[in-house]
Amino acid sequence: MIDDRNRPVPEPAGLPPSRRGFLKVAGAVAASAAAASVGCAPPAENDARQSAFGASIQRTVGFDRPLLNMLGDAVLPEALGSAGRLAAVTSFVAWVDGYDPVAEEMHGYGYADVRYLPADPAPGWRSQLDALDTLARKMGQKPFVELDVAARRDVVSAALASTRETVMPEPLGASHIAIALLAHWTASPAAKDLAMGAHVGVLTCRPLAGTTTRPLPIVGVAT
Amino acid sequence: MKTIDTDILIVGSGITAALMAARLSETTTRRITVVEAGRQTTVFAERAKTRDRFIAYGEDPWRRDHLDDQNASGITHGYSPNMHVGGLAMHWGGVTPRYSPEDFTTHAMYGIGTDWPFTYDDLDPFYQEAEERMGVAGEQGPPALDPRGKPYPLPPLPVNYNLSQLQEWATGAGIATWSTPSAKNSIARDGRAQCQRCDTCYPVCPTGAKYSPDFTWNALVAAKKVTLIPETLVRRLVAEPGTGRIVRATGNRTDASGEEVTITAKTFVLAGGFVWSPHLLLLSRDTAYPDGLANRSGLVGKYLAGHRNVGGQITLPMELYPGVNSQHSLVSKQYQRASYRGRYLRHDLRIWESDAGRGPRVRGDDGRPLFGDALLSDWRARAKGGTARVRAYYDVLPDRESKLVLDPARKNRFGDPMPHLTFKDAPESAALREWQEGQLRDLFEQMAKAGKGTLRLQNSTNDIGQEHPTGGCRMGDDPANSVVDGWGRAHDHENLWVAGAPAQVSAGCCNGTLTFVAVGLRTAAAVAKAGG
Repeated sequence: MIDDRNRPVPEPAGLPPSRRGFLKVAGAVAASAAAASVGCAPPAENDARQSAFGASIQRTVGFDRPLLNMLGDAVLPEALGSAGRLAAVTSFVAWVDGYDPVAEEMHGYGYADVRYLPADPAPGWRSQLDALDTLARKMGQKPFVELDVAARRDVVSAALASTRETVMPEPLGASHIAIALLAHWTASPAAKDLAMGAHVGVLTCRPLAGTTTRPLPIVGVAT
Repeated sequence: MKTIDTDILIVGSGITAALMAARLSETTTRRITVVEAGRQTTVFAERAKTRDRFIAYGEDPWRRDHLDDQNASGITHGYSPNMHVGGLAMHWGGVTPRYSPEDFTTHAMYGIGTDWPFTYDDLDPFYQEAEERMGVAGEQGPPALDPRGKPYPLPPLPVNYNLSQLQEWATGAGIATWSTPSAKNSIARDGRAQCQRCDTCYPVCPTGAKYSPDFTWNALVAAKKVTLIPETLVRRLVAEPGTGRIVRATGNRTDASGEEVTITAKTFVLAGGFVWSPHLLLLSRDTAYPDGLANRSGLVGKYLAGHRNVGGQITLPMELYPGVNSQHSLVSKQYQRASYRGRYLRHDLRIWESDAGRGPRVRGDDGRPLFGDALLSDWRARAKGGTARVRAYYDVLPDRESKLVLDPARKNRFGDPMPHLTFKDAPESAALREWQEGQLRDLFEQMAKAGKGTLRLQNSTNDIGQEHPTGGCRMGDDPANSVVDGWGRAHDHENLWVAGAPAQVSAGCCNGTLTFVAVGLRTAAAVAKAGG
């Protein structure tokens, strides 16, 4: 049974399920997982990503969604509501699935060497997700998904004890899936607006008109 | 072997080449051929998609944008491995200040540096032309600080809500500021959209509001006014013994074929920027010119120039909303106009909104992870208030040994040694550096104090080296101490011209691209007049 049941796109037929029901498909298929984004923008459309040598990159995509959903429910703000937290998790999954490991970085001014993005962080994050469940069973004798929010946060806190981040990193640089999930959400224009309590629309193309006036406040958000 | 015959050969297809070609196509009837070693990069229709992936992952939005084996070492800020049609201005920030009049006459005015062979007033019409060809949106600053012969072609980008708060603060600190001139459409123009403040001018504008050279190339090629040949690397220029006239360029295709290419022309224009123009001249050494072409003075590759910056973040008691138009800024030329405090220091000043230090945290003050609404509350508290990013580029005078040389240890696929660069301050700049940077920090401290704010974070100027680099084929009236004359014509070869950045004597103390283009347009005017 495919566990990743909240995927936003139909899954390709005929693919063999792996141990936890993740999909192992070509990167090009992964990139087609377009989802409504409340986080960093996922690929706008199927981007036939090729390695430098022209071969499609094989990646394992998807997560144990029930487990990830419960992680998101525990760490993302209550202010988003359950639907908002679920949407943030969905966007995160689409973002991870759309990643092209070791693609070329933007060549900025200041250095001559061609630099590359990191290796695929997803396998490590999946392992950490699994480990949360294992830790939950050790700490509370229950699966992670059956714990209440406070207990889930205790488990995540314990898992983060060995991490070092103090400020939110770039999502790709997150050392733990819980931090990656938070980092992906906090990088979104909607999250930034929520933090500022105003409709700013960071990184969103919008008209020049109106830039001279103070951004409108978000109704109901106290800052 | 592929052979090409043309009247005017332009080597390189960056922004200077593009706008020179546009001018030449209007002022001569001669055939114009442009060769570019790289390929065409991401076309306009693909840029919204590649921007999405840049934002999501940091991917390079510019596909096929470099040649693995054609690169420089020892580089400085302002260099990039990019080599493709349109050059670095495909991903520039679009900021287009002019140099100040003093930049051209530092020796006459202050007894320091080298004067250019022409003045600001001489360059003013070419500045204007560059601004009109790109479509620069700008605000006239105080005329005494910001002289210009004609108005900007486009109205300025608005001083937005955040910048208006910062402008009020700057005014209170005694600093006159105005909207930074930018090659971004403040209104729709030339078939390109009005700016949508997408905040990714650098590295990619998805709407076409920011000028990039591909727009010019596409128009020129469609109108059959120029022949643009990508994937063609010019590796040698060949001079006729006796006359010194350049008779042909030779090289190879950079595609899989590697086919040899010979191009004959009446006029040769090098527009490959501060690295590849002097590099080609040095590569073109032969028995008649053992030190390379145009190098009677021994100055090809010498006097590489740039400027450094001091920057900081100033927290201020005001409410800002970073992201309204985050790449737009205020500019001041108040400190470009003269030495002050008794010693030589000239610099620009830019002010931006900033979200530095205002992002979310993983852990609270107690070191425990933040989750849920507690994380959001903590972030909201940090997001309140205002932070200004301030930065000043200060003038650095180049040493003769600030140079580009051929590195025999690093070769491209054809066996050509690649360039190695070393930047070095002239002795007078080296002696002033510590004092100059201290003065700039003092200025920022005073600005912070005037706004009842706090100065935080200061970069080390060693972090990024020198910016907006120029030089390598410096211009001058005397063939003994310059490579090209004041119009960009090589002293040693009557039909060879070096355009834009490499011909410059110095790099001023502000972003350089507009000046590179203006100097190139001045050269284009001379090329047209010279015939050939």
